[in-house]
Amino acid sequence: MRLVIDESRCKGCNLCTLVCPYRIFRPGTTANRRGVIVPELDRPERCANCRLQHLYGRRLCGVCQMICPDQAITWEEEGPCEPVKVAIEY
Amino acid sequence: MTYEDWFREDRLPHIYCVGCGNGTVINCTLSAVDQMGWNKEETVFVSGIGCSSRAPGYIVTDSLHTTHGRAIAFATGIKMANPDLKVIVFTGDGDLAAIGGNHFIHGCRRNIDLTVVCMNNMIYGMTGGQGSPTTPPGALSTTTPYGSREAAFDLCGLAAAAGANYVARYTSYHVTELTRAVRAGLESPGFSFIEALVQCPTNYGRRNKFRQVLDQIEYFKSHALLVQKANRMREEGKKIPDDMIIIGELARRNRPALGVRK
Repeated sequence: MRLVIDESRCKGCNLCTLVCPYRIFRPGTTANRRGVIVPELDRPERCANCRLQHLYGRRLCGVCQMICPDQAITWEEEGPCEPVKVAIEY
Repeated sequence: MTYEDWFREDRLPHIYCVGCGNGTVINCTLSAVDQMGWNKEETVFVSGIGCSSRAPGYIVTDSLHTTHGRAIAFATGIKMANPDLKVIVFTGDGDLAAIGGNHFIHGCRRNIDLTVVCMNNMIYGMTGGQGSPTTPPGALSTTTPYGSREAAFDLCGLAAAAGANYVARYTSYHVTELTRAVRAGLESPGFSFIEALVQCPTNYGRRNKFRQVLDQIEYFKSHALLVQKANRMREEGKKIPDDMIIIGELARRNRPALGVRK
């Protein structure tokens, strides 16, 4: 699973930067085409839901999605890809 | 099925301002409704007038957008006409506490089987930031430019005193707890009242030293006090500061409910 921010919905309130336990969301720096400063993702593969949702068969954590007032945060399925070594912080 | 299926995708993004907490409360309510496993044909969302009351327009089920303050009156009609329908009322503080105050009290008295989610942003947000009955003392608004001198309405206390079966208060920061509270309200027969304090950065926050969206959320985070802890502090004789927001499940009882099929 892959964490994505829907840029057509995000209004740039940065509430997600407050709640994420891994601090994946960071306040953005550049405005997009609509003039909204969308938060940046800092190594989104650390997200517990991305890694473990299929294993547990349910949504884990998901606080960023719940607190997002604009319904902009979703997880989407990834296609098969090459394995990448990921350092996971505990 | 997840709660995202309940959104009317073509209407999103909604018209709420940047950082408005109403979207969060919609997420939590829909998540609770989805956990209940209800289908879209038997669920009805009712709302009055205001920012919060635009919420049913973004939800795919049948909904009523009614006159100012009369959401509970219309919902009572729906529930009495067809008790099989699940009725959820979205309402704001100006809608519920000011103009619809009497409907609210009598909804609690009748203990009709509704779930009322009140998004309390402590101001009339849509009309330009006038002071509402729940504006805290000292807060600035366009009608109280020197600070509100009036005491604020404690909606949860009012609902509990008037006889609602389930009363809870959370803020838009406490998303999991709010979801759990809405779910408990949907499960319990009778009148369930969930007050969700939401931030209003545009009209409340910027006049009251919450310049950024995160400032008011941080305020909710640091000033929320769970009701169990508040009770413990009272027993120990400690004083609870006046600006604390008491959150948690404030009443749960089993009065006979109206509008439930026997």
